[in-house]
Amino acid sequence: MRAEKMWGWFLTLPSLIHTVIWIGIPVVVAIGMSFTDYDIVQAPTFAGLANYAEILRDEVFWKALGNNALMAAFGVPISMFIALIAAVALNQGLKGQGFFRTMIFMPHVTATVAIAMIWLWIYSGDPSGLANRALGFFGLAPQNWLTNGDLALPAVIVVTIWQGIGLKMLIYLAALQGVSKELYEAADVDGASTIQKFFNVTIPMLRPATFFVLVTSIIANFQTFDLVYNLTNGGPANATTVITYQIYVAAFQQFRMGYATAQSVILLLVLVVLTIISRRVVGGTDGD
Amino acid sequence: MTDLNTVTEIEKVKPLKPVRQKSAKRSRRIGRIVLWVALLLFSLVMVLPFVWMIFTAVRPAAELAQPNPPFFPRAWDFNNFVRAFEAAPFGIYARNSFIIGAVHVVTVLTLGSAAGYALAKLRFRARNWIFAWFLATMMIPFYATVIPSFLLVRFMPLFGGNDIFGQGGQGWINTWWALLIPGAVGAFSIFLLRQFYVTTPTELIEAARLDGLSEPRIWLQIITPLIKPGLLTVALLAFESGWNNFLWPLLVTSSEDLRVIQVGLSVFRQESNTQWDLLMAGTALSAVPMIVLFLFFQRYFVNGFVNSGIK
Repeated sequence: MRAEKMWGWFLTLPSLIHTVIWIGIPVVVAIGMSFTDYDIVQAPTFAGLANYAEILRDEVFWKALGNNALMAAFGVPISMFIALIAAVALNQGLKGQGFFRTMIFMPHVTATVAIAMIWLWIYSGDPSGLANRALGFFGLAPQNWLTNGDLALPAVIVVTIWQGIGLKMLIYLAALQGVSKELYEAADVDGASTIQKFFNVTIPMLRPATFFVLVTSIIANFQTFDLVYNLTNGGPANATTVITYQIYVAAFQQFRMGYATAQSVILLLVLVVLTIISRRVVGGTDGD
Repeated sequence: MTDLNTVTEIEKVKPLKPVRQKSAKRSRRIGRIVLWVALLLFSLVMVLPFVWMIFTAVRPAAELAQPNPPFFPRAWDFNNFVRAFEAAPFGIYARNSFIIGAVHVVTVLTLGSAAGYALAKLRFRARNWIFAWFLATMMIPFYATVIPSFLLVRFMPLFGGNDIFGQGGQGWINTWWALLIPGAVGAFSIFLLRQFYVTTPTELIEAARLDGLSEPRIWLQIITPLIKPGLLTVALLAFESGWNNFLWPLLVTSSEDLRVIQVGLSVFRQESNTQWDLLMAGTALSAVPMIVLFLFFQRYFVNGFVNSGIK
């Protein structure tokens, strides 16, 4: 069918051109630019691997990478654990579970900038900040949550945990729909307790979902920017800086485009590897 | 003998069974009540930051000035919203974000459903390659393309005083083009719409062709009406990402006329000397529209978000 062929091209072409211009070409340009010393003002000159060599020596970059790793190592498992418990609890057919689900998911639909503002106020150093009121309730001294170098990163991680529970819970809930009731009935016949069923039926059946949530959450964690920008500006003394924030600083405050793109290429490699892993696990959805 | 024994044993046990079931039922019921209370408490903790936001936004200034104001505001004072509007043009910010969200809904639905339909239902040789390309672009994080995209906007030829080589002017910086064009369509919307189109019956297309209907009419009038839930899902996600976007508008605009709500909020915070009541009023303005939209169209949001996780 010639008309079908023609319309196939015609209908996909606008989107195809759009993604080539705004994603395809930028990726190629970014990789190319990472081997230059481009600074917007002067024409770029070839710099070889100088940017990558500098990254290796850049303590702040390693600090940022370490912070991303810490956020992933602590934030993701805690958030996943809470989300799993919430999902199992919401899968019991209790009254008002739709209402609970809505409340738990709300942080996910809210703009991260707005969330940062709310937590800025919760973490406010003056005693009327909510976090310090909570400390005061237990007779503890108020803290400067976001300006104390030891507390700032944990404080940011708490926000990512809170914000991340909703989506993880939804994916777990979707996965729980696929767990056959017969398995639980068989466990009932064997006299298994609720706890035993949770560990011996639910957890193993949710293993693919768990792995998937883990990888996609790490990917999302590596792209944290709005929160850090608005909550701490990466401070104090780079205590909460992350790779995306370093890219922003290098590119749009120092105008070191070559150096910034080299950092973004490293981020790209990390995330593409993680994405391929997650797609392997889910499998099947690409084809069909 | 042994056979007889077992039979009597079973008969002995039988009457006991209902009693056991009853106590098991009761303990299960208690378990469910405990679970329900735990869920309620957990949900309250999850929404506490939003509650705190609202309470601060309506707290009378005199109360906020107290060293330890009560958790619940004594009176609700909506004057803070008026003062926030006086301190910063939140109306303009909200209008700009709304325009971006609305325009993206239109462009994403048009371009996305065109591509999604073609990839799902039309047979042409490059189809699989194009689909693989879209899937590949979904892997690329925004932070890997943001710098060249910014430079492309900045050096856009023949715009904003630029010559044909993109030199001499500002390009698309501080224009609606910069806010609207790069996000006009995305691979994820195409992918999601394609998944919806795949579920529609191909026989319908073949029958329509036999009736002599043209290809665009089949796409728009026969098949697309069948995937209304898919269109709504994609429209909501497009509006959400337009309304909640922060970094891109921050980079490509600096004039107050084009400032979007999230950037406006961020700038307001830096300039407002942490007047928490005003900041929370502004925050509520930026957060509440999405929350309300979510409450109304939950099912579609959930649909889209779960799919975005499982892409």
